[in-house]
Amino acid sequence: MNDMRLAERTVDTDAKAIKFQCRDVQVWYGDKHAIKDVDVDILDKTVTAFIGPSGCGKSTFLRCLNRMNDTIPIARVEGRMLLDGEDIYDRRVDPVQLRASVGMVFQKPNPFPKSIYDNVAYGPRIHGLARNKAELDEVVEKALRGAALWDEVKDRLSETGTGLSGGQQQRLCIARAVATSPEVLLMDEPCSALDPIATAQVEELIDELRSQFSVVIVTHSMQQAARVSQKTAFFHLGNLVEYGATDDIFTRPQDPRTESYISGRIG
Amino acid sequence: MTDAASQLPRPVGAVPPARKSLLEPDARTRRRNAAETRFRAYGIAAIAVAVAALAWLLFAILSDGASAFRQTYATIPVTLDAAVVDPKGNRDPAEMSKVLTLSYGKLLMDGMKSYVASKNIQIDGLDDADLKSFLSEQAQANLRQQVLDNPELVGQVVTVPALTSSRIDGYFKGRVTAESAAADIKTSPAQLALADAMKADGALVTRFNSDFITNPDASETRAEAAGLGVAILGSLYMMLIVLVLSLPIGVAASIYLEEFAPRNRLTDLIEVNIANLAAVPSIVYGILGLAAFINFMGLPRSAPIVGGLVLTLMTLPTIIIATRAALKAVPPSIRDAALGVGASKMQTVFHHVLPLAMPGILTGTIIGLAHALGETAPLLLIGMVAFVKEYPSAPPEGLFDPASALPVQIYNWTRRADPAFFERASGAIIVLLVFLLAMNLLAIFLRRKFERRW
Repeated sequence: MNDMRLAERTVDTDAKAIKFQCRDVQVWYGDKHAIKDVDVDILDKTVTAFIGPSGCGKSTFLRCLNRMNDTIPIARVEGRMLLDGEDIYDRRVDPVQLRASVGMVFQKPNPFPKSIYDNVAYGPRIHGLARNKAELDEVVEKALRGAALWDEVKDRLSETGTGLSGGQQQRLCIARAVATSPEVLLMDEPCSALDPIATAQVEELIDELRSQFSVVIVTHSMQQAARVSQKTAFFHLGNLVEYGATDDIFTRPQDPRTESYISGRIG
Repeated sequence: MTDAASQLPRPVGAVPPARKSLLEPDARTRRRNAAETRFRAYGIAAIAVAVAALAWLLFAILSDGASAFRQTYATIPVTLDAAVVDPKGNRDPAEMSKVLTLSYGKLLMDGMKSYVASKNIQIDGLDDADLKSFLSEQAQANLRQQVLDNPELVGQVVTVPALTSSRIDGYFKGRVTAESAAADIKTSPAQLALADAMKADGALVTRFNSDFITNPDASETRAEAAGLGVAILGSLYMMLIVLVLSLPIGVAASIYLEEFAPRNRLTDLIEVNIANLAAVPSIVYGILGLAAFINFMGLPRSAPIVGGLVLTLMTLPTIIIATRAALKAVPPSIRDAALGVGASKMQTVFHHVLPLAMPGILTGTIIGLAHALGETAPLLLIGMVAFVKEYPSAPPEGLFDPASALPVQIYNWTRRADPAFFERASGAIIVLLVFLLAMNLLAIFLRRKFERRW
């Protein structure tokens, strides 16, 4: 099975369009230079994994992609990050509009303390994606189906989202992100708070989501990166050390630091 | 590191002593346990002292003040002589209102005399002065008002409950005795003997006194007629103003400072000053109110509007601090979640953060209001201490009418000479405590209602 996917990967990564083009990206937290000279191209309809030891800047970089770092007053971003050729840090860009097309799922499941339905419907409501209740119902069902949660919750949509299990909560958060029909989905260690079974479900889901949009996932688990991603970027001390097809990174790493990390010697 | 340690030769003499039995605590453990036991004892003692102080306070107030809610009335037949109360004989209230209260005093006096005569009550030393001062001066005024309200009564013999004087009332509450009456110019042992006789006859009743809640304040000589009506209305008006002004201003200021304002010198300065304002003595706010609202802006003295504005200034820091704490307590993951699906900052705050902070905000607001309700010092400076007998009219005009306030009324009554006012002050404290208790219960209720389970 692994071989099959290997073959698939080599075929599809070449043909995909570039979704995010990042050049010469620098991020400072106050005086701390957190991201240094990162150049990376993120492909459409592809799962890209960011791996690296703690504090290497992979989450920081992920949060730059939908300008969540704007909420941190001391964070400063330089360089060019183009989404479909448009600089997302241009003065004319409203981060709110950007985040509607670049959704995000966080490390800890963080559903709103509202009903399951309202959790999923929140995004479509504030962005005006549904004209009436029937349409909204449809959007919610589609998102929940997309997050492989529909069958489990369809009879209790009015129950509070925080009452679900951890894995269900995380899939609810994915459904919430999917409901706004984003072009890119950012996931910051989405499985770190989940048990292995819930992790497997979420990973399967990530693989399905790839057919609709580009997924960028930050993970601490190299097995997870190997399982779900087609492209992998290895960050170390704020530098992008190596970026390439996942199989190349794991089987033929070019940089000695990458090799040390994936073989467990650093990190 | 473990490798290196194992290679070192073991130092002689540092061999740990063989462990003693677990069944027997060593000296160190015993000392620690003793310290813990002592600490628990201190804690229990502290709580016991606090509870005892509270119980003592409540007992003292209740035992002094409970009697304020009961009042003694005399029910004697009074002939409403048409020649006296309606000299023109046309039953026109406008004409009848020209008859002074004093005339009704005469009618009551006649009523008392004929009552004593009809019941054949013989008491040594009972003179006209005793009969006259038996009933409250307020009884005349009440009777007059009753007749003016209902001119049909003229010419009839009515048996209306008439307020007795504070001494007679005090006699049945244990405040006045035959011994104290002998030395009191306002009463005499003979008057008290008459009271006993009337009580035995059933012409004196001590019953629940709703007038204490509804009546306005009364003069020094009519303690028995004094009530809290104006004070309660005044306090209510002020609380309305405080709520309407301080809740939106306080919450808006907190949201801006907490969620939107950049962190810089200016906001730091504002933050420090808000914390300092919460600690400013309340009388300083009173001086500010006097200077700003009365002298500069020309608002009327003794008016709930000024009191409300001053109390608003005083309550704002409390509400801002409580609201900011409540906003801070909302987990950042909720903000991330909302921003992550593309909500704007304002949508994030109003759709998610504010509802979650609501229980804390409401609790803080109600505690601030309760604090304002009991505040006296600033109100003294803006003239709320004045004697007000007229009810303020309905808001909004009523906000500019003179009124009193509960704590100020208590302060006023405790300064008066008649011991009956002491009882009424304690009664007023009970009313104030009931209001505070109700507000705290409301705070608890709202907290329960709005609290969301995670």
